[in-house]
Parts: sequence; structure tokens; C-alpha cells
Amino acid sequence: MSKGASKNLLLRGYVVLVFIFVFTPIVTSFIFSVNSDRFPTIPLGHFTTHWYETIFADPDVWDAFRVSGIVSITVATLSTFIGFCTAYTDYRYKFTGKALYLSLALLPPTIPLVIMGLAMLALLARINMSGEIYSIVVSHVVLCSPFAMAVIRMRLAQINPDLESAAWNLGASNWRAMREVIVPFCRPAIASAFCLTAAVSFDEFAVAWFVSGLNKTVPVIILEILQGNTDPQINAIGSIVFITSMTLVILAQLILMRKTINQTATGI
Amino acid sequence: MPIVIWQLIFFVFPLIFLVVLSFWLVKNYRMVPGFDTINWVKMFSKGYFWDAYWRTLGYAGVATLVTSILAFPCAFALAFKVSPKVRRWALFFLIVPFFTSYLVRTYSWQIFLNDNGIFNTLFAFVGLGPFQLLNNFFGTLVGYLTLCLPLVVVLQLISLANVDRTLIEAAHNLGCGRLRTVFQVIIPLAKIGIILGAVFTFILTFGDFVSPYYLGGSKPPTLSILIIDTTKSGQQWPRAAVVAIVMIVTLLTIMFASVAAAYRKRS
Amino acid sequence: MSDSSSSRPLVTFDGVSKRYGDVTAVHTMNLEIYEGEFLAIMGPSGCGKTTSLRMLAGLEEPSDGEIRLDGQRINEISSVERDTPMVWQSLALFPFLNVQKNVEFGLKMRQVPAEERQARARKWLERMEILELAERDISQLSGGQKQRVALARSLVTEPRILLLDEPLSALDANLVIRMQGVLSRLQKELGITFVYVTHSQSEAFAMSDRVVIMSQGRIEQLGSPKEIYRSPASRFVADFVGANNILSGSVSQAGDSLEIETALGMFQCDAGSKDAHHVGDSLDMVISADLVQISLDDPGTQNSLQCRFISEEFVGSIVTLFAELQDGSDFKIQTRQRDLAKMSLEEGDSFFVFWNATDAHLISARRPSDA
Repeated sequence: MSKGASKNLLLRGYVVLVFIFVFTPIVTSFIFSVNSDRFPTIPLGHFTTHWYETIFADPDVWDAFRVSGIVSITVATLSTFIGFCTAYTDYRYKFTGKALYLSLALLPPTIPLVIMGLAMLALLARINMSGEIYSIVVSHVVLCSPFAMAVIRMRLAQINPDLESAAWNLGASNWRAMREVIVPFCRPAIASAFCLTAAVSFDEFAVAWFVSGLNKTVPVIILEILQGNTDPQINAIGSIVFITSMTLVILAQLILMRKTINQTATGI
Repeated sequence: MPIVIWQLIFFVFPLIFLVVLSFWLVKNYRMVPGFDTINWVKMFSKGYFWDAYWRTLGYAGVATLVTSILAFPCAFALAFKVSPKVRRWALFFLIVPFFTSYLVRTYSWQIFLNDNGIFNTLFAFVGLGPFQLLNNFFGTLVGYLTLCLPLVVVLQLISLANVDRTLIEAAHNLGCGRLRTVFQVIIPLAKIGIILGAVFTFILTFGDFVSPYYLGGSKPPTLSILIIDTTKSGQQWPRAAVVAIVMIVTLLTIMFASVAAAYRKRS
Repeated sequence: MSDSSSSRPLVTFDGVSKRYGDVTAVHTMNLEIYEGEFLAIMGPSGCGKTTSLRMLAGLEEPSDGEIRLDGQRINEISSVERDTPMVWQSLALFPFLNVQKNVEFGLKMRQVPAEERQARARKWLERMEILELAERDISQLSGGQKQRVALARSLVTEPRILLLDEPLSALDANLVIRMQGVLSRLQKELGITFVYVTHSQSEAFAMSDRVVIMSQGRIEQLGSPKEIYRSPASRFVADFVGANNILSGSVSQAGDSLEIETALGMFQCDAGSKDAHHVGDSLDMVISADLVQISLDDPGTQNSLQCRFISEEFVGSIVTLFAELQDGSDFKIQTRQRDLAKMSLEEGDSFFVFWNATDAHLISARRPSDA
């Protein structure tokens, strides 16, 4: 059966190729962020931390990171909260217009970011709300809550439907039952959603670019540098951005994976 | 139900406002509320608008086709040819780049696709080229792939992994060869994941401006670039709104048509 | 049930075994299947029956040995090229094709032109009495209807052999009876070989010409249903098939009839073939529950035992009585309801069971691991 075996090898090789394609840009960013040459070509120059030093000395960059940080955490908190409410509502209740409710909740990712940016800017500018940090927050929450909702909803689908009824049966009010039963069960999904939405917000640039005015987030800074010319600082900033968001996403997945394994083991 | 309120205010309302905006006028770099269809008339009469429209549609179409085809062997291999453990880790690592800076990743490709970039340098070693890889559709396509490939692989993978293996055995048992089974049995069974991946690719590439701008040379422009140009330089927000609305309508139509096709029952 | 018509086997398992790592699913198996017979392979879960069937279909490869179809070795022939259609436990109907297209599938694979395909498919749908469902979606069918579609799909290519992997296990009890009739009639009309895997004794015995009993990867017995029922070849078969009582003992006297000494006393038994058993041989005496008679008073024969009534299980016209013997072991009696009505037994009552010497069947006391 060597024909089958060589076919398998080909397919596996293809998978490796795809992964190389996907991760190459990230890896090159890391490599060139410590490369001495101003223009990224091969052969490489020597190792240097010069670019990192440059960006860390730039107050605009620090500002941007500060803004990004504030925005991401705020957005993560709000989106996770809204996502949880939506997921729980979808899980628990049936009502007329539910389809409409769900489409409203899940539609944002399908609208191109450019359009969202434009719409947000237009509206917020009109009511003099643009250019502030909360404008970015508001737009991002709209974008990120669907992700939070999806993650938490998937977790809710795993819960034993009788657990909540059991809590009511034992005298817990609706609110209490949710707090004591549902929330602890969803904790890994909530934590995961938090990390995920933080990552999405941290990376989101299009809407932020439109809406942020003078309070720039990191991606916006990147955009501005890009509009100038090729500058190795991008690689340095980019590497930091990669590390941040990748850590968040990996954390999000690990939390979900570990807790699920533990809980199935204890028979929940 | 706080989400309804939030979404209504911050999602639906801005979009409705866009519609309203498209009927306003711009005088002296200021916007004047009113009701005038001139923006629509002007836009629709402009050659460059329709050029951009069909171009963007075409780009998105090609991107969808290329991404779906390139993703399939990878998803197939991960669904059928590797152990569950490898599959889970592959999934894990495919999700990661999707949430990291698309912007920086696109920029990194410039390093490769440049006229003096890594690819051309390698080609020079074997006496080929130099090839124009940047500032044309090829560059744009590479950017689109960077954006969508992981997502499409994941979506196709999920559907393929859920295919009932006994159906594949039954097909073999009835005389269907291995390759033929892939097309006659496996793909129909994984229809939903494949279509979902295609739809997302279309939506993302239709609205994206980063790839055509930074890897595609930004000329001739796509609709998204048109919006940015109109807004940032010309301050012609109402005109930009027209473009935006046309894009939304197109996308919604295609989305609903595809979802309907995906879930259609056989008669 | 027809007799096997041909003397040359259609399928031969020659020393076939199957291992998965350390686990042996099928030990060296030798089996011949004849053209036109209905063969059932029966056994508890994990006995290797499904593995054997899958090896025949080409879905698993034997670790050792050779499988021959019509005298030709087929080990290397892939399942795609073998003509051994199978009916799956889950039926495996294609959800993206309607009923008629499902049935046409095998013909399409053989490049049969469209018109002929449709005609043949419809002919089979008519034969299975589901022609009116031709355009329907699979999800709209009932269990019994899906069964018929699966059968039509496998038979439309007119194969010489049909494999069935517990196809009735998902059906309601009354449907099972009906489908057994359908399968039986179909097999007789077509005259092709059916190889039917099941764990249900009633299915296997109702439809087949011969039955293979398997346990832990080995063939325990091969024979007609009647042979297996009346003359189990091993302790396993005696326990697995029918309702049997087994008394273990050794031969104390040999001759035209044997005297068997057991812990509960001495019993008489026909010797069967002369000199088959000698003094001192260990034997299991198998007395089928339906050959046992009961009486309240001591019948006075040698082949009788006193026991205590425990409970009864009423399954309609047949009643199974459960009793306890003097040494604490169980004893089963099957009798007709109307015979039992003549006596009234309460729990704890003492009564007698007895049987004829000719009704006891002997098995050499072999442990299954001695095979």
C-alpha cells in the first residue's frame, strides 16, 4: 500500500506548508525586530535591540500602549458581560423575535470594519462624542460581544439542563440560581471570552483609526508609521503586539481546555 | 436584556445614520443636513465607482475560490489523516494567528514580496525573475490568504471531522473509489463548513482595505479604499456613505443567498 | 430454509486471524460459506463476529491467513473493488441523496447509464414495496422504511453475497418479526448467500440455514439451528443458547448407557456412539429446560432431582420456572402455561423434576481456553 502511504505523506506535508505560510509573517517580524539593517533584506545584519530601544523611548508609543491597554480591558469587561447576558438569554428563554434578537447580536462581524468605522465616526462626531477613549470602547464592544457570546454559549450547551431546575427546586431564586450555578460553571468560558475580546480589541485598528482622533491605540500608531515608509520600528512594535495578543488567545484556549477536562473527569 | 439596547444604540443606529448621511450635502468642508439624492446620482454615474465595485466583487470572488481550494487539502488531512491529539493542537494553533495583528502580518509580507525581497532574492539565486509580486493583485491575494486561510481551514475542519465515517465505508463498499468518494460523498456531507468558510472569506475580503492598500498598490482602488480616500482626504462623508451602503446591501444579499443554499433541503 | 445447494464453498476463511496491537480479535478461523445459504454468525459483544464480517467486506485486513472468494484470494483486493455489499447497523444511508438516488448509487459507481439505473432502482423499490417513497428525503422515513431502502441499495447490483451487520437491532420488536420474514423470503427468492451477524438468538435461528457461534475470537460451534439447540458442542454454547441446565460429573460406569456421578447423585444417560466415553472421563450433562418434566411427588426414576420453587417468568404460552437444587445451584424448567395451571406452586414449595435418559446431552468438560 505504498501508494496510500505516499499520498498521506503528501497531505501531511501540505499541512506543514499551510502552517509555515500562516506563521511566517509573525516569525519574520520577530527576526527583523532584532536585525540591525534598516531595510529588511537578506543576508541579515547583526543582532541588535536598537529598534526596541527606539520605540520604548518614544512617548507616543507609550501613550498608545496605555490607551490600548485601557481600551482592551474595558472592552473585555463590557463585552464579556454583554456576551454572557446574551448567551444566557438565548439558552434559557424562548420568545417571539428570538431569531431577530440573535441576528442582531451576531451581525457585527459581518459588516466590514471600514464601514463600521465610518458609521461610528459620523455618528459620534455629530454628537461630539468622537475622539475620546470611550468612543473607541463603545465601537469595540459592539464588535467584540458576538465573540464573547459565542464562546459562552458553547459552554452553556454543555451544562446539564437539570442543574438549574434543581437549584430552583431547592429554593434558590432565579437570580441566586444563576449566580451560584450557572456562573461558576461558565467561569472558564467567561475567562476565556475575556482574554479573547481583549485580544480582538487590542488588534482592532480600522474602527479605532476612524474614531480615535488624538487618543491613538497601538494599531493606529502602526498604521500611521506604515503610511510613512518602511520603518523597522514596526517590527519591534509588531512583535510586542504579537506577543500580547498571542498570549491572550493561547490563555483563552488553555483555560477552556483545562477546565473542560477537569470537569468531565469529576462527572459534571 | 442590555444587549438589545446596546446593539440598537451603537450598532443599528450608526448604520441607519449612514443611510441618512448619504442624503446630506457638503458645503465648505462642512456637512449640511438635508435630503438630496445628488450623492447617489453622482456616485452611480462615476465610472470609477462601478469599476471599483466590479473589481472588488471580482477580487472577493477569486479570493473566496482560491482560499477554499487551498484550505481544503489541509482541512481534509487534519480531519482524516492525523491523530485526534494532533488535530486538537493544529486547531489550537490555527486559531491563534487569526486574532493577532493582521496589520503587522501584512506588513511582514512586504519583506518577502518586495522587488528586492526575500522571494526575488531566492529566485535570483536560481537565475529566475525578478517577479512583480507586490503592488498587484498577487500581493493582494497573499494578504487575503493571510487574513482568511486559518479561518477557512478551521471551519472546513470542523465540518469534515463530524462526517460519519460509516457513510464513507458504505460508499467504498458500494464501489466508490477513494478519490471519487471525496467528491461524491465527503464534500456533500461537509457542505455547511465549506460554504460557511466561503461566505466569511467573501465578507472579509470584500470589505478589507489593508491588503489592497499595502500589498496591492492601492491602485486601482477597491471599494474600501474608495471609502477611505473619500473620507480622509475629501471629507466627502455622504459620498463615502453611499459606497458603504452599496457594500452592505451587496454583502447581506450574498450572505442570505449562501446560507439559504447551505441549508436547503433536497426536494 | 433451503439446504445449501452447492458443494464448493463460495467463501473460505483459511486460517484467518486479526490482531489489533496486543489484542486478538479473531483467532485462527477456518470457515466455509456455501452459495445460496443463509449463514448467521452469532455471539456476545466482542466475540469477533463483526470483525470477521468486515474482513470479508474488505474493511479490515487479516493479520494472518487467506480469505478466498470463488477460490480466488481476495486479501489484497480493496473493499471498493470487492462485490460484497453490506447492510450496516446504522443503515448508512446518504442524507444528501433522496431514496431513489441512494438506491442508484452502486449502479452509478459501475458506470451504468442513467436510464437503466433509474429503471433498475425503481424495480427494486417496487420489490421492497416502497416505490412511492422514491423522491423522499431520507430523514423523513421510518425505521422499517429505511431498512428497505438499505436492502434495495445493496441488492440492486445483483451481487452473489450480501453481508448484514445487526441490521435489525435498532427496530421495534414487532418490526423485527416482520423484517425477519422479509429477509427470509428475499433470500430464498434470490437464491444468493446471506451472511448475517447478530447477537440475538431468535433472529439467527429464525432465518438461517446454518449458524456459527463465536466467543472471544473463536468459533465455538457451526451447525444448523436445530443441531446447536439440541446438541451444544461446548459449555459456552450450552450457556449461551437456549435455556439449559448443566450438571458436571464423571463417568462411573460405561457401556450401552452411562452412569454419571455428580455432586447431586447418580444419573443415567445414553452413551451415544460406542466407546466414546470411558470410566473416569469428566463430563457436563446438559438438560434442556423444555425437556424437563415436573411433579409434586417423587417420580421414583433415577434421573430426577428434588428442588425448591423460587419464581416463575410468564412469557405467554411458555412459562419458565426457576428452582433451587439441594446444593444451592439453579435449575430452569420450561413448560406450557396450561400444564402448569394444573399444579399450584408457592414460593418455597418443594417439587421434583425428572427427564428421560435420552434427553440429556453430553459435553466433554473442556475449558474454553483449552481450544
